[in-house]
Order: sequence, then structure tokens, then C-alpha cells
Amino acid sequence: MNETTVIGLLIAVLEFGTLLYLAALGETIAEKSGVLNLGVEGMMAMGGVAAFWAGVETGNPWVALLVGVIAGALFSSIHGIVAVVMGADQVVSGLALTIGGLGLAAFLGQDLVVQPPGARFEATNLGPLNDIPWLGEVLFDQTAVTWIGLALGVVAWFVLTRTRVGLILRAVGESASAADSSGTSVVKTRMIAVMIGGALAGMSGAYLTLALAPGWSEGTTAGRGWIAVALVIFGAWQPGRVGVGALLFGGLLALEPRLQTFGVEISPILLSMLPYLLTIAVLVALSIRSRHRPSAAPAAIGQAYRREDR
Amino acid sequence: MAAPLAFEKRESPLRGGQVRAFIVGVVIALLLGSILLLVSGHSPVEVYAKMFDSAFGSKRGISTTLTRAVPLGLAGLAVAVAGSMGLWNIGAEGQIIAGAIGAAWIARLGPDLPGPVLITLMLVAAVVGGGFLALGPALAKSRLGVNEIITTLMLNEVAIRVVRYLVNGPWKDPEGNNFPIAPELPEQAALPALFERSNIGLLIGAVVLLAFGVYTARSAWGYELRIAGSSEKAATYAGISLKAKIFTVLLLSGAIAGLAGGIELTGSSDRLVEGVANGWGYAGIIVAALALMRPSGVAAVAVAFGAVQVGGLSIQTLGVPAAIASILQALILFGALSAAVFTNYKLVRRSARSTAPAVAS
Repeated sequence: MNETTVIGLLIAVLEFGTLLYLAALGETIAEKSGVLNLGVEGMMAMGGVAAFWAGVETGNPWVALLVGVIAGALFSSIHGIVAVVMGADQVVSGLALTIGGLGLAAFLGQDLVVQPPGARFEATNLGPLNDIPWLGEVLFDQTAVTWIGLALGVVAWFVLTRTRVGLILRAVGESASAADSSGTSVVKTRMIAVMIGGALAGMSGAYLTLALAPGWSEGTTAGRGWIAVALVIFGAWQPGRVGVGALLFGGLLALEPRLQTFGVEISPILLSMLPYLLTIAVLVALSIRSRHRPSAAPAAIGQAYRREDR
Repeated sequence: MAAPLAFEKRESPLRGGQVRAFIVGVVIALLLGSILLLVSGHSPVEVYAKMFDSAFGSKRGISTTLTRAVPLGLAGLAVAVAGSMGLWNIGAEGQIIAGAIGAAWIARLGPDLPGPVLITLMLVAAVVGGGFLALGPALAKSRLGVNEIITTLMLNEVAIRVVRYLVNGPWKDPEGNNFPIAPELPEQAALPALFERSNIGLLIGAVVLLAFGVYTARSAWGYELRIAGSSEKAATYAGISLKAKIFTVLLLSGAIAGLAGGIELTGSSDRLVEGVANGWGYAGIIVAALALMRPSGVAAVAVAFGAVQVGGLSIQTLGVPAAIASILQALILFGALSAAVFTNYKLVRRSARSTAPAVAS
């Protein structure tokens, strides 16, 4: 093990952390409004394929990223219409979004599989900052998307905890009928939250196909969307804690292909189970603790809201 | 801006609304699917005709469709058994894998056992394997109230990695040209054929579905299940031990999905591979939802979905990706879920006297 491999690992930790954080942050916002969306994997795939296609067509990574974001948001609106407006079951609708999204992405991307990337994000060049040993190499040898993710996390934290908009969002997620009584449109708020979630999942997918592993193939999301769902719980629905979790789980993903380099004789496949097992462990720990304290989960999560049923 | 329309609850649910919703879902899916096919330069009529023909047009097609309906139906039943109590088993995918692993393990331990003994033991091991994967979520839910949606979902990803580990490591076929596959199962471990491509697994699946359908509809156990699902209070009042019920139902749900894995391994494949569950566990959730968690409905929807999958594979010769099958399944669900709302609600013009703020303002 030498310095280069350690720095390479740390760079990858931030890269995988970015991928997971974007999607998990979006899911956090949706769940805060009371909507569970198990369609993250499908939205990521849709964002990824759309962004890769736009990259091939335009050659511009920023346009491609934007297309990925829009694709994710539009695709998530299906879940919004079915589960929020029509009030159908969120679990089933979200799962169908994943199944349909993976299928649709594979369908739309069948001709893109052989294509070389038309656009990709390169690491930022901040001149002397990049030359700082260790710190500069790890922190600044990243694409701009990582910084966008960080900025979005800060904005999300601020909006959720310090603004009226955040208060409304949380109120809708805690008690939809109370929020409705006070004049908030539950459907509109939830719809927007779901589409922000879709936009961020789309950005995560775009980051995957434009920066982390430029290219498109069926199944390229490889279950990372489920890790994002897990992260929201792991991070107790708080943008900051979700970020810490993203670094931890991102670290596990980064370590996977490098285990042998570090001379560890464990199968990387076994290591890759850890995020899921850790999430279960956290859930169990939380519920033991919550016997004495209120749960961190939004109270109205998973419940459709219809004023007529009130 | 107030939306001009609003949902209003019907005085009584529309009769036959659910069947109608399913048909509407299928129609919507076919329509939206046609747009997709047209845009990508295929003729929807040709594609759908070929799909239908390959699924139902011949004896061989029908037998393939039914064979595919078995894991879909059992996974759907697994979800439905839990669902009739208001529990979500999202883990059928993983439990199918666990069942297949259990069955494959028996084949490794006793490769020389006579066929009937070996197959029986393999199927028992599959049931135990599926139940085993559901044990954690069942305990956590019944004892601590831990959300079973997330625990079962997470274990899917764990199970996928366990089978990946096995076929890449300890169980890897030394003569498999370095492919991630387990060695071939002993010859006598194959389920006896029934007709064309169908095997005894079809009978087992049908019997299990029928038995559960009758049992949950007629027995006190099924009655208690529905009470527990409708109201926690009512269940406690009726003296039903909710904890024990949750535990057994989730365990049973896992065991049924595990059986699907065992039938799949002994019936339709000659060895354990990573993709043994093939997305059936997730599709099973859609099947159960469309069937309103009723075993009788599960069988019907499973056959329909089996046909969509068989059809999806057949149109690859026309240059249409098999992914169209997943798209159609999701679209059927979205369409049916939306249409089902109208079983209990109707759209009305928002009345002027409505003083409350608009829902979709």
C-alpha cells in the first residue's frame, strides 16, 4: 500500500459519496413531505440514460446534466400523479417506477450501449489548490458536480430547518390534515417535493454516466438507488447526517474493488453487503431507542392524503 | 388557481370496479406502449400480435406462459398473504434467491439421493431458506415494530450478493470456463415434466395458491388475518395476539417465496446462477397489488404477467428489446392504480360553495 493508492481511494470515496448523496438528498426531501418513493433506482437510470444521450448529441456536459435532471423530475411525476394526486399506494407505485424506469432506460438506451461518451465532466482545476499535497489532491481532484451536491445539501438543510417553506414541507409530512386546515396545499407541496427528489436522482444518474463511469449500459445503476433509500433512514432524514452516511457508504463502494490492493483477503462481494446490513442495524437500534423518544421518521410517511376522507 | 375538478367519495364502491380497473390498466398500458413502439419505429399491431401469439398461440406457448406464471404467482401469493394483514413483504426477490440457495445446497450434500427424495428435500430446503431470510424482519417487526418494508427490501440486496459470492467463490463450477455459475444439478433433481415446457412445479404452484385461497377465505385463521389487517384495536379486542400473528405471517410469506425459488431451480434451470430470481419477486408485488391481495386474483394476474414476459422475449426477433415487458408491467400497474381510485371516488365539478382551500390550487 502506498500513498498513491490511498489518495486514489479517498478520491473514489468522494466520488461514490457524491453519487449516493445526490439521490439520497432527493429522497430525503420527498420523504420529509410524507411521500416514500421506492423508485430511486428507476429515476437514476432514466436520468443517467437521458444525460448520456444528451452528451452524445450536444457534447456539452452541462447541457447533458440538465437533461438528466429534467428527465428524473419528469419521470418522478408519474409517482406524483399516481401516489399523490390519485392517492394510490406509495409502496407499489414507487416499486413500479423502479421496474418501469429500469425497463424504459434499457429500451431507450439500446443504441447507446456501444457509443463512446460525447461529454464528460473533468476534475476541476483550481491551480495551486490542486497542488496541496493530500488535501488538494483528494478534495479538488473532483468534478464540479461534487461541489454542486455539497451546495445543494447545505441549501436543503437551511431550507428545511430555517425557512417557512421548509416548515410547510415538514408540516405536510408530519400531519397532512393539519397542514391542509392551515391553508397549505398538500397535493401541490408533495408533488413538488417528489419532483425535486426525481430531479436529484436524475442528477445522480447523470453524474454516473457523465463523470463516475462515463458510458451507458443496462444495469449500470447496479442497486445504488436502493443504497440511497437506505441512506435516508441511516441519516435520520437530516441532510447533514445523510451526507455523513453517504461518505461512509461511498467509502464501502470505493473500497470494494481495492480490497486486494490493500492485501485484505475478504471477498469484495461480502463487503458490498455492509450498507444494507448497517441500515437494518440502524433501524433496529433506532426503534429500540424510540421506545423512549419520538421517531425520526416523518409521521405521515406512506399515507395518501384525501381531504374527502378526513 | 383552483382546480375545476375534485374527487368525491361514492356512497358505495362501484361494483366490479377492481376488474374494470385492471382492464383499464391493460388498455392504458397497451396504448402508451404503442406510442413508445411507434416512436422507435415498430408497428404496435405487429408487436402485440406476436406477443400474444407466442404466449397463447400454441401449446408450447401456453406451457411457457404457465411456467413463468408459477414464480410470479407464488411471489404474488407471498406478498398477498402478508398484505392481507396490512404488512408489506418487499423481500420476495431475496427470498426466492434464498430458497434457490437452500435447494442447491441439498443437491450439493446429497447428489446421489434418489430423485423423489432429493427433490422433496430440495423443496423443503427452499421453503426453509425463504423463511430464514424473512426471520429477521419478522422478529424485528413483531418484537420491536421495525418497519418491515425497509428490512425486507435491504435483505434483497444482501441475498443477491450472497448468491453472487457463492457462484463466484465456494460454489463456483470448476468446469464452468470461469463463468460465475454453480455446477450442474444432478440429473434426477429435475422436476418431472407435465406437458411441453411445463413441469410438476405448475401443479405445486396451483395447489398452493388454491389451498391458500380457500384457507384464507374460509378459516378462522384467515378471518383473524383480515381483522388484524383492518384494525389493530379490533384485533386486540378479539383476543388476537398481534405479535404472534405478525411473526408467523411474515415467516410464512418468506417461506412461500422461497418455494418459488426451489421450483424455479429444480424445474426450469439446471444450475444455480446469480439471476435465479429474475425480478419475479418485485413483479410479484405488482401482481399482488393488482390482485388486491387475494389469492384467486393472484393466479389470474400471474398468468397475464407471465404472458407479457413470454411475449416480451419473443419480440426480440423483431428488434424490440425485451425491456418492453417491464415497461408494460409497470404501465399496467400505474393505469390500474389510477383507475381503481374511481371504484371509491368520482370526479365532480368543484362546487362554488366549497369554502375550504383548493386541494390542487
